[in-house]
Amino acid sequence: MNEIAPKPGIKGIVKKLSDVRETSLLMIIILCAVILTFTNEFFFTTANLQTVLGSISINGILTIGMIVVMITGGLDLSVGSVMCMSMAFAAQAILSGVPPLLACLIGIAASALSGLLIGLVVTKLKLSHFIVTLCFMGIYRGVVYVMTAGKSISLVSTLKDMPKLAFLGSGYIGSYIPFTFVIFALLAVAADLYARRSTRMRKLYYTGSNELAAGHSGINTDRVKIGACVACSTLAGVAGIIYMSKYSGVSTSAGTGLEMTALSAAVIGGVSMNGGKGTVAGGLLGLLFIVLIQDAMNLFSVQAFWQDLIRYVIVLLAVILDVVQETARKKKNS
Amino acid sequence: MKKRILAFALTLVMICGLTACGKTEIPADNSENNDSAVEATATGLAGAEGETYYMNVFVSGVEYWFPVYAGMKDACKQLNVNCVYGGTTEYDAQAQVESFEAMLAKNPTGILCSPINEEAFVEPINRAIEQGVAVVTYASDSPNSNRQAYVTSDNTNEGATAARAVAEDMGGQGSVMVLRNPGQSNHDIRCDSFIATIEAEYPNIQVVADVATNQNEQAGYDAVMSTYQKYPDLGGVFCPEGVSIVGAATAAKELGTGIRCLCVDTNDTLLDMLKDGDMFSLLCPDQYMQGYLGMMSLFIAAHPENVNPMNERKANGENIMDISIDNGLTIITPETADYYYVADYAASLGYKDVNDMLSEYKTK
Repeated sequence: MNEIAPKPGIKGIVKKLSDVRETSLLMIIILCAVILTFTNEFFFTTANLQTVLGSISINGILTIGMIVVMITGGLDLSVGSVMCMSMAFAAQAILSGVPPLLACLIGIAASALSGLLIGLVVTKLKLSHFIVTLCFMGIYRGVVYVMTAGKSISLVSTLKDMPKLAFLGSGYIGSYIPFTFVIFALLAVAADLYARRSTRMRKLYYTGSNELAAGHSGINTDRVKIGACVACSTLAGVAGIIYMSKYSGVSTSAGTGLEMTALSAAVIGGVSMNGGKGTVAGGLLGLLFIVLIQDAMNLFSVQAFWQDLIRYVIVLLAVILDVVQETARKKKNS
Repeated sequence: MKKRILAFALTLVMICGLTACGKTEIPADNSENNDSAVEATATGLAGAEGETYYMNVFVSGVEYWFPVYAGMKDACKQLNVNCVYGGTTEYDAQAQVESFEAMLAKNPTGILCSPINEEAFVEPINRAIEQGVAVVTYASDSPNSNRQAYVTSDNTNEGATAARAVAEDMGGQGSVMVLRNPGQSNHDIRCDSFIATIEAEYPNIQVVADVATNQNEQAGYDAVMSTYQKYPDLGGVFCPEGVSIVGAATAAKELGTGIRCLCVDTNDTLLDMLKDGDMFSLLCPDQYMQGYLGMMSLFIAAHPENVNPMNERKANGENIMDISIDNGLTIITPETADYYYVADYAASLGYKDVNDMLSEYKTK
């Protein structure tokens, strides 16, 4: 069949690309990068690109989890707290003499369990993700306070004797690529491919698009939603372990506000708040856009009081532009 | 002989004084002492039965507050009054105002409050004072309210001290940057003072960036990494708090160019980094004295009968104090860092742990 079908020309490829929702965001990002390259000599340098890669990694892992939950029609406001809780469990275990690998697994397992709990409450009690995860955001932060008695946990000395764990957060591959980025990239590619190719992942979309119809077609929607919550929290746990390694300890405020970054990134990247739409690649492009804005503000030495204003106005403009383009695309196709 | 008699008399006076200070019984008839500060001192400062004082904070899990409360608690023990630690766990003005109002509903004698936002607390503090509840602010202020006193380490001095420390070590040449948490008044004052001091006193040092990192390690890391690309002579980073600076110090360590990171805060991670040479300096307000002096001010505000200042305020029924107290500032060095670990400090005060130190104190 493939031999008979005509090969798509450049026009065809352009049309196909223009039909992909992420293309418009990618174009905006490329445009920003080009402008930054010509207006700031420090943007397109190895060191700055390393900073961007390093910066996107931890938030990126959180964002993947957020996207998965959002595709099912939910959202998770507790990811920052879960991340911090994972750090606290792992750090306490390390200080108690547990081997580092096992300690990290304890932290990640605690996160997975926390996701399971969220999923069970959401599905069995039929409560909204927003309310449940808002409560759990406070509950898990509270667990951290109780565990640490409000104190930061220092691993500065401990990590000196654990070079592998230290490498996890601070190491570089070939002196150029942050190891955190390698972990993130592997997770991102795996998640995106899995989302596009796996029938199991398609169930996430079906559930998010129309939960009732998905249920009638034999999908166990509760199981799908619980699975998404567990995946999201587990990824938050992984992000926490990397964060703990990179910053040599746990501060009780770690992860605060990261849920909003992940949520904003996903929305900018075209992940629908109503579920059923969006891709991992799109959400991560949204995050890249946010990171680029912050990087630009740092490079242009924008004064602190202006930064939030500028950041969110640009984010809003990007979302509006994306919606306008999406509407135009739909009109063209209909 | 005369000297011996004098020495004996002085010793007697000192013993009496100490006994009076340690005395916790409530005077049999307080009304007799209303007009005489001398008489009040002679019978010892002590609260009435059931008097309760609250400490109200934001982000109650932050270690900074713990030694402050230890100071307040010690003062409460000496004054024979109850004290409770509370506030909100969140970094949110509304949540802190609600926690303040919840305390107010319990009809306390006084509240020692560190307002997250100066304007948000004007009305709640004024309402508290109208209800007869004494309010003293500490660490951060609400200057447009009727709060009766303010205890802090001079934030302007902190910023200036940090600026001079880093600038001198840089030999008066190069670039520095600031990481801040816009909107928190005491943090803004520190940052502004740091910048003003550099600009006024070190013409060959440029303040090249002022970044909103909002108490986030990753944001601190990114800010230093990005800024360093543009300004390779970056020699110092100042931060008014102890979270973003951890990220900054991590970035500085990775860059390996000797960027000096300093902040106004302490915690175990910062102290370990200081001892390891990853942190240039930590500036520490005397937290214990902040709480102790805060409580003493609060007690005076709640018991104006004990003092007779030479002004018209008492006669006019106005706030007799309206004072700002400087609780002092210490520069922590690697050699002195061991004195600042809060768990060890709690143990040195005889508490089982930090939780025990933060527990409510109830008079017997």
